[in-house]
Formats: sequence, structure tokens, C-alpha cells
Amino acid sequence: MADILFHLFAFLTIGSSVAVVYNHNAVNSALAFLVGLVGVSGLFVLLDSFLLAVLMVLVYAGAVVALFLFIIMLLDMQGGERPPFSKPTAVAGLIGAALLTVCTMTLIRNFGGLETAEMGAIVPVGANLKHYADQLFTTYLLPVQVVGFLLLIAMLGVIVLSKKFEGMEDVK
Amino acid sequence: MPTELLQQAAADNQWAAIGPELMVGCLALFLLILEIVLPKSRHEIIPSIAVVGLLGIITGFVINYHSAFVGQTTFNGLLRHTGTGQFLRLFFLLAATGVSVLGMVALKRQKMPKIEFFAITLVVSGAMMLLAQANHFVMLFVALETITVGFYILVSYTRTNPLSLEAGLKYLIMGALSSGILLFGIALLYGAGGSPALTASSMDSMNFDALRVFLYANPDNVVAAVGIVLVLSGVAFKVGAVPFQIWIPDVYQGAPTPVSAFLAIASKAAGFAILLTLVTVFDGYQSLVIGVLSVMAVATILFGNLAALTQHNVKRLIGLSGVSHAGYLLIGVIAAIHVPFAVGAICFYLFAYLLASLAVFGVMTHVSGDDDADQDLDHYTDLAKTHPFLGTVLGVGLGSLAGIPPLAGFMGKLLVFLAAFEAGLYALLGVAIVGVVISIYYYFGWIKAAFFPQWRPPVFEGDDPIPEPPRQVVSTPAGILLATAALASVFLGFYQGPLGAWLGLS
Repeated sequence: MADILFHLFAFLTIGSSVAVVYNHNAVNSALAFLVGLVGVSGLFVLLDSFLLAVLMVLVYAGAVVALFLFIIMLLDMQGGERPPFSKPTAVAGLIGAALLTVCTMTLIRNFGGLETAEMGAIVPVGANLKHYADQLFTTYLLPVQVVGFLLLIAMLGVIVLSKKFEGMEDVK
Repeated sequence: MPTELLQQAAADNQWAAIGPELMVGCLALFLLILEIVLPKSRHEIIPSIAVVGLLGIITGFVINYHSAFVGQTTFNGLLRHTGTGQFLRLFFLLAATGVSVLGMVALKRQKMPKIEFFAITLVVSGAMMLLAQANHFVMLFVALETITVGFYILVSYTRTNPLSLEAGLKYLIMGALSSGILLFGIALLYGAGGSPALTASSMDSMNFDALRVFLYANPDNVVAAVGIVLVLSGVAFKVGAVPFQIWIPDVYQGAPTPVSAFLAIASKAAGFAILLTLVTVFDGYQSLVIGVLSVMAVATILFGNLAALTQHNVKRLIGLSGVSHAGYLLIGVIAAIHVPFAVGAICFYLFAYLLASLAVFGVMTHVSGDDDADQDLDHYTDLAKTHPFLGTVLGVGLGSLAGIPPLAGFMGKLLVFLAAFEAGLYALLGVAIVGVVISIYYYFGWIKAAFFPQWRPPVFEGDDPIPEPPRQVVSTPAGILLATAALASVFLGFYQGPLGAWLGLS
């Protein structure tokens, strides 16, 4: 059962990621991205990381994609015409595809499958809120503080790059 | 988790060990508070407070250089304090001071928000100092992202200039891509190292110590090998090594000159700080790491030097020459796998590069006109005659970058090449020497523009004389910085002495 679900979610994620790249319309891409995130959160559930699965849906699917859609609609982005592949792009694409095939073939021939093991009695960090919070406030306290500074300079950056200042003429 | 374990974990968070980083962060917050509290007419003193504060932190750091924490891990294995780490912390503090002084000069001419530049510079350098001590992929990635986000803002800081915005966008996309590659590699290593099916797997396989043990025990794990290559590629983006150098010329040209200096000096050093840590972690996969880095080093040296030959814009030129310097340093990193003193050689090289770059970028800040992106070799015509001080500093800086014998840059190259010779990397050494020879051509083209008089069409009476390019008056702090950088470049060329031993590098 878990295997079938894994393959289902994995194909959902990969398929919608491909759709994000190949869609002409930006709104469609964003919606395909949303489906991809749901697939990822399904994979997290299969790994017993329920908290991460919920966060994935709440934060990314809920807030971030909604923000993307807002911005796409605000800027009124149209798909536009795609120029046909130029010769160098086509050659580079062919070489890339050939390399990828060779690598995949080598991997399959030399290694076959990867070793897998049953999920043991390990409690994943992302399993429940209490365990996660314990880790954040003890072991990973320093990175959490650094992220605070990261958000601070991100906020400063928004001010610097978007606020109107006296006597400054912006690029049209 | 039981309470005792939590308390034990919390007790290992020894904040005293990262005192300098805390002070740098507090200084950044203090500047922002001052901007609110002080009346607008007094805002000019805030940049000086940033520089004075940094000098104070440097003094305190040098006094406590041999702290009791060296050789220990703190923060539950997130940080490891080493001699090299101590040196790099000092390096990043010095780089931040130099960049802040250049920022004071460059921002005076722009109608731009000023305080934020210094606050962001401080936070970024604090993150670099943490990065130099990271012993865990979580810490490494968080610090690296803080640096990258800071640079996204700094690169597009002069937003009235379209080239700066373009550079910012390019850096954003390439930086996000490289972070993605790095993260993918980290995830693969974490997955391989955490797999209970394999020997020596660990619950905490993002910890470098646990990962090193795991990689030794599984020397032919394909997932780990792919992870290692992806992590090295992600870091190669940050140092600007071929084939991940594509963003360098445009970003260096568009970014404000002090930010280009910060990118060239500190961002590159941060990349090498990670590489030096990672090659010891990936010790079990030596042949793979050496192979990947050797190919990169050869391509980087040749590409950087050949592409710089044709450049006329000095910012693009110095950016591409920086690519070739990354190549020489990569050879040093490969040598460091077998020869311990190569780490000290890399540190000396980085320090010589810091001094020479500060000198050259300092002169560039003063010579540039209103359009920061438009700095041509022609603007340097007769610099030595019209402004002997700037001319001399430029000559010393470029000479040191090119590796002319009595200067620090020569000693840096010599030490790195000696380490490579001892490690038996003869082919790489040959490529590097060819690279150095090529580089002399374009460095001397620049020196020629500044020092040797150029033919000019005669000016007849009644004609308008050809307008002189704008020359900045050198302010006292900038003068002190430039003079120190030039003098130290000369001094370190003659005398290396026990300084390295005191710094714990030898």
C-alpha cells in the first residue's frame, strides 16, 4: 500500500514540476506548482513527518503560491510568444540529453537498486510539534537566531529597493 | 526528549564563543536605532560609527585571539573553532572595515539610503564569520543564505542605475540556482548518511564529524558521490570557478564598486572557507574530490586569464582576473588534501589578495565618475601624474595581484605553488604558471594606462581643452585605508615571519 502511494505521490510531484516548466501561461504554472507541493506533502506523510506535511500545505500551498498568483495577476503577465529553439540551444539540449542517458544507464547497470531499510524506531524531527520545537530551541538555537538576522536584512532590502526617496529618479 | 537532555543541549550553546559575531550583529542593530533616534542633520556620523565600532571589535578580537574555545566544538556540534577559523574571522572583520570605508566614499556621491548599506554589510560579515566555523550543514546553509540574501540587496543597491538592477537580477537567479544545487547535494548526503541499511550511518548525518566517519566506512556509495559533486558545484558558484563563473563579469560591473570589492574579497574567501572544511569531510572520496577540483582549477585559470585579456571595462577585468585567482586557490585546496601547510599558504594568499584588492578597488572608487558601471581603462590616463598618491597605490595593488616579486601577492602565489609542488601536482602547476604569465599582460595594460603618458592630439589656442576626467579628493579615512593596504602589501612581501605562527597557521 505504502509503495503504491509513494509512486503515486512521486509521479504527481514530478509530473506537475514538469508542467510548471512547460506551461506557457504563468497562472497555470503556479497552479501546477501547487499540485506539486501537495505531492511533496504526501511524501512527507509517508515518511511519518506529519508536521512538515502540514507546514508544506499551510505555508507553501496556502501562502506562498497565493502570493505568486497575486504578483502574476498584479503584473498582468502574459505567456507571450516563445522564440523557436536557436541552433546552439538545440545542440546543448542534445548533448545534455545524451549525458543524462549515459549517466542513468551507468547507474542502473552498476548499482541496480539502492539499499533500502525499514523505517526503524527513529522519531523523525518533523514528526510532531513538540519534538520539533525542542530541537529548534536547544540544538538549532543559533541557526534560528541567524535566520532572524536574515529576515531583518531582507526587510531592509525591501525598503532600500522599493521606497521612494527624495531627489531620486527611478529607472523607467 | 527528556528534560535533562534538553538542558544538556541548551548548556552547550556557549554564546561567549561567538562574541565577535554577536557584537557585529549588535552593531548593525545599533546603527539602525541611531538612524531613528538621531536628527537627519546628524546622520553623516553613522557610517563613521560603523567603522569605529568594527575597529573596536577587531582590537578586542586580536587581544582574545587565542581564546579557550579554539579546538573545541560548541552549539551541539554546529560550530568548530579552529586556528584557520580564527584567522578567517579576523579576515572577514578586516574586509568589512575596508568595504565600509569604501562605502562611505562611494555613497557620498549617490542620493541613496546610506545607513542600510552598513547594516547589511555588518550582518553579512557576521554570517561569514559563522560560516568559517560551521561544522554542520544546517549552520553552513543558514549562514550561506544570509550572505547570499545580503548580496542580492547590495548588488542592486544603486537602483537608479539599470546596470545595477540587471546585475542584481542576474545574481538573484544564479544565486538561487546555486543554493538549490547545494541543497540538493546536502539532501543526498543526509539521506545516504542517515540510511539505517548502511554501516556507520548516523541520526545526525548533517554533522561533519558523523558524515566523515560515514564516508570513510562507505567509500563507493553512489548517492553520496553524487551528493559530493553537487555540493562542490554549489560552492563553486560562490567562488566563481568555471563552469559556474557566468555571472561574474556582469555582476561585478553593475554592482556598486565597494560591493564588487566585497564580492571579490569576502565572498570568495567564504567559498574557500567552506571548501577547506569540506575537503576534510569528504576525505573518504579523495580521488573524486581531487578529480572534480582539478578539472575546475585548470578551466578556471585558463578561462579567467584569457577572458580578462580582451576587457576594457576595469570592473569586468578585475572580476575575470578574480576568477583566475580562484583557480590558483583551488590548486591550493587540492594540495591541502595531502600537504598540511597548504592551508596556511591559502590563508596568506587570501590576505595578500585582500590587501591588493582593497588598494585597487579603493582607487577605482575614487576614479569612477557619476556612472559607477562605466569605468574604462581610458579613465586612468595620466593618473600617476595628476594624482601621484592614487597612482602609486594602484601600481602596488596591481603589482601584488599580478604577483610581482617584492610584493605580498608574489609570496602568496609562491607559497601556494610550493605546496602544490610538494603535493606533486606538476600538471596543475604548469597551467597555473602559464596563467600567471598571461595575467601580467592585462595587469600591465592597466598600469601602462595609469603611468605612461599617452599620445593626445595637440590642443591649439582658441580650442576648448580636452576635459579632465573627474578626480575625487581622497578623504582621511580612505587615505589611511589605501596607504595601509599598499604599505602592508610591500611589507608582507619582505617579511612573513612569526606572524603566521602567531595566527596559528604556520
